[in-house]
Amino acid sequence: MKWKSWFNRRRWERQMDAEFQFHLESQINDYVEQGLSREDAQSRARREFGGLDLAKEECRDQRPFEWLDHLLRDFRYAARSLRKSPGFTAAAILTLALGIGANTAIFAVLHGVVLTPLPYRDPDRLVLIALYNRTLGYPTSLSYPDFLDWERESHSFEQITAYTPHGFDLTSPGTAEHVDGYEVSASFFSTLGVKLALGRGFLREEDHVGWAPAAVISSRLWHDRFARNTAALGKPITLSGVDYVVVGVLPPGFPFGNQPADVYIPVGRGDSVLRNDRTNHDIVSLARLVPDVTVDQAQAEMNVVQEQINQLNPGTNSGLGTYIVPLKRFLIGDVGGTLMLLLGAVGLVLLIACANVANLLFVRSATRTQEFAIRLALGASRGRVVRQLIIESVLLSLAGGSLGVVIAKFGLSAVVETVPQLPRNENIEVNATVLLFTLCISIIVGILFGLLPALKSSTMDLQAGLKEGGRTAGGHNRTQGALVMVQIAVSLVLLTGGSLLLRSVHNLWAVNPGFDAQHVITFQVGLSASVTTPSKVRVAYQQLVERIREIPGVQASDITGNVPMSGGNEGPFWVGSRQPASMAEIPRAVYYPTGPDYLNTMDIPLLRGRFLRRTDSANSDLVVLIDALLARTYFPDRDAIDQAITIPHWGAARDVSARIVGVVGHVEHYGLNGSVRAKPQIYYSFYQLPDDAVPIFRPAVTLVVRTPLAVSRIMPAIKRAVYEAGSDQPIYNVQTMEELLSRSIWRQRFPMILLNVFAVIALLLACIGIYGVISYSMARRVRELGIRMALGANRRDVLRMIIGQGVRLALIGVAIGTSAALILAQVLQSFSHLLYGIEASDPLTFVGTSFVLMTTAILACYVPARRAARLDPMIALRSE
Amino acid sequence: MPRHDENLPGNTVLLQGTLDMLILKVAALGPIHGYAIVRRIQQISRDALEIRQGSLYPALYRLENRGWLKSEWKITEGGREAKFYSLTKTGKQQLKAETAEWKRLCDAISLVLETVD
Repeated sequence: MKWKSWFNRRRWERQMDAEFQFHLESQINDYVEQGLSREDAQSRARREFGGLDLAKEECRDQRPFEWLDHLLRDFRYAARSLRKSPGFTAAAILTLALGIGANTAIFAVLHGVVLTPLPYRDPDRLVLIALYNRTLGYPTSLSYPDFLDWERESHSFEQITAYTPHGFDLTSPGTAEHVDGYEVSASFFSTLGVKLALGRGFLREEDHVGWAPAAVISSRLWHDRFARNTAALGKPITLSGVDYVVVGVLPPGFPFGNQPADVYIPVGRGDSVLRNDRTNHDIVSLARLVPDVTVDQAQAEMNVVQEQINQLNPGTNSGLGTYIVPLKRFLIGDVGGTLMLLLGAVGLVLLIACANVANLLFVRSATRTQEFAIRLALGASRGRVVRQLIIESVLLSLAGGSLGVVIAKFGLSAVVETVPQLPRNENIEVNATVLLFTLCISIIVGILFGLLPALKSSTMDLQAGLKEGGRTAGGHNRTQGALVMVQIAVSLVLLTGGSLLLRSVHNLWAVNPGFDAQHVITFQVGLSASVTTPSKVRVAYQQLVERIREIPGVQASDITGNVPMSGGNEGPFWVGSRQPASMAEIPRAVYYPTGPDYLNTMDIPLLRGRFLRRTDSANSDLVVLIDALLARTYFPDRDAIDQAITIPHWGAARDVSARIVGVVGHVEHYGLNGSVRAKPQIYYSFYQLPDDAVPIFRPAVTLVVRTPLAVSRIMPAIKRAVYEAGSDQPIYNVQTMEELLSRSIWRQRFPMILLNVFAVIALLLACIGIYGVISYSMARRVRELGIRMALGANRRDVLRMIIGQGVRLALIGVAIGTSAALILAQVLQSFSHLLYGIEASDPLTFVGTSFVLMTTAILACYVPARRAARLDPMIALRSE
Repeated sequence: MPRHDENLPGNTVLLQGTLDMLILKVAALGPIHGYAIVRRIQQISRDALEIRQGSLYPALYRLENRGWLKSEWKITEGGREAKFYSLTKTGKQQLKAETAEWKRLCDAISLVLETVD
């Protein structure tokens, strides 16, 4: 009802008129009946009624939602007034769009990555559980028998489940394709609380050796391979040469882990030797906490459970604890902190943008002094004038916000492209929550930067305002100067933060990874399922490598089962032949099963002994190369060459002894910043692997190719060579070693890039701010300058005076900024591994950024100063 | 802004807020239009209370906006269209509350006056 009256204003007015008319006519009729003449009756009725228009106006104030009308009227007026000065409006909107857009983008990232709950049922109760090696001090995956014990003994969890990543070669139905997936226990989908789109999850019995192979596939595979046909259930799907029956299809976009996964198979029916081996640590466990059980309580219980397991299996398990972490924290790590930091930084950019727009508003309000004076003189309250001005600034910020959303959309895709490693980046989008955030900051910002100029304008001296016309009252200048100081200080803070990170990344790049990353391409490829016997696999890979080496432009190439910067392949080893008493005391090394030319291709230096040779084969004695770290740690006072180490799990054979034939340089396997503790490294020849271990490598090995040619130029030839070698397998994960390196430092690169982008925007805005303020103060001092020049000041004096004014502002700004930047630097240092090879208070950085800001400030002053210095004193004196 | 000069001598100027109560009271008797409200109040008070007609309508609109009155266009006995006001449920409660409050006030004032006598 009430709303209707607001929308139909004319009808409402008509009804009010009719009501008043009725009243008057009734009164007149009564008077006529009492014997008055019609004219007398009319005038008396009118007189008694009182002011008709006043009554109407008072009624109108009572109209429902009348305030909305007032607001709309103010908005219309504001829009009209902004349209009248398009230059100012465009500058303000663009500035705000940059600031608000950057904030929207970073908030969208924060929202998608950190704030959005995991897409599972009650995700806050999901935890990840792993073993913790107390002796060596790091978390590690567990063995399948350990998991079964946990499942049986623990009570803190509603459900507990296991998974391990697994790659497959999908050959039927459809064309051959490498797909990634997981081996999972039967409770996997119910633990996460995922409803399958079609079919069912795994039955408990399917999770045991001997049962028919079953698979759950992704929505994508269902779409690509089965044309979304419900008859897909029960159909076979050939994975790595084994026929699995499709029992279920996942909902579209079911996300698990940070990579797309297409196939899930039961973990319990895997290789029974591996699955029964307590030293084979390849399982990760997920669990759903019982409501009201905390992570700490679960941790305490699991430690007790693990202690019992350890006592029952002293040979394999002593020294092991457990490690429980909420699933979300495990997935996103410390990205949340980095994002908060960036949000803070981008907030500072917005602050600078606000200061600029506030400055523009000051200049604008100066030219509108007369308008306000007239409005105040005509009886508008100061509140009314302030409201009008605030509405203008809010309108500006809303327009800026709308444009900012567009900027944010572009910015977001740039962010996701630059750092594909950002966890959960599939959730990053401009959605309703993000838009609400944008709306809120737009309004807050509009009030913020509008308030100061508005209050100044409304408290002016009326008479002076009316008299002075276009000229301003004093005082603006000081406020504007303060705003410029704040801008310089904030820019300095951002620039310092950006520089510290830039130099960290630079230092990281300077770290020697232990190999020559330039001109090396890596990709993965497998052999077709028809290559069955181990000897055929060996020959096929040898031929593949031979063909690739023949390609013009290829300098060296070989296969490997493990590449630096791309995950680990760790295993236990021990020196000599006697096994240490407990599992926890067994050292672990990164293993590289490689072709003999791998080390040469990667340019890893040989320190002692010899490289692997083609003659090291399945028929000759097992030899290994060790890295300098292993040599230093385990052979501190003797020559490692010709010593023996033992490798457990050498295929079906256990505990084989290998002779060390060479020592090579250590490779930064887990990244450049040393955030993961360096592990010893062991290389052995792929061609010496026992027959039963070779088939593991049939679906995929990594090829490394050293070539000065670009990826796009060499890959077609490589693909041709692979297919000519008779392989029907896809080539995937094509990356240069340099890309792998640069990705390994994304945690530093990501904030580095953004912080520097923000710093550049801030610097630019501050530059515009200084320029604007100095130009404006010049324009107001033309007369003064004219007098000075007429009295004998020369051009250089004027130039010096004006630049001096700017330098004074800049110096104060730099002083404030330096202190604030020191605080930011401490914050940066509190993040582990964000700063690398540089002190938070690095003097060079601080001096450098101060210098950049001072120079920028002087340049920004120089242009208006030169203009002023060129003034003709005669013209200047006559101005105004 | 009351204009006292318009009030005839001998008539009582209405206290702030009492007009609202009177309107509600009159409207409680059944749907009634603005002009009739003025007449009715003057009749009942035997012309002792003079309502400034110009201030009646803003009061009516205010009471309607607060949800104490509702209005409807109807045909009068004279065959003309007029806007009739009647009391809503909350209006009835409001009237009750205001009447009670008024009585309490009157009692208190007369108590003071009698005691002083």
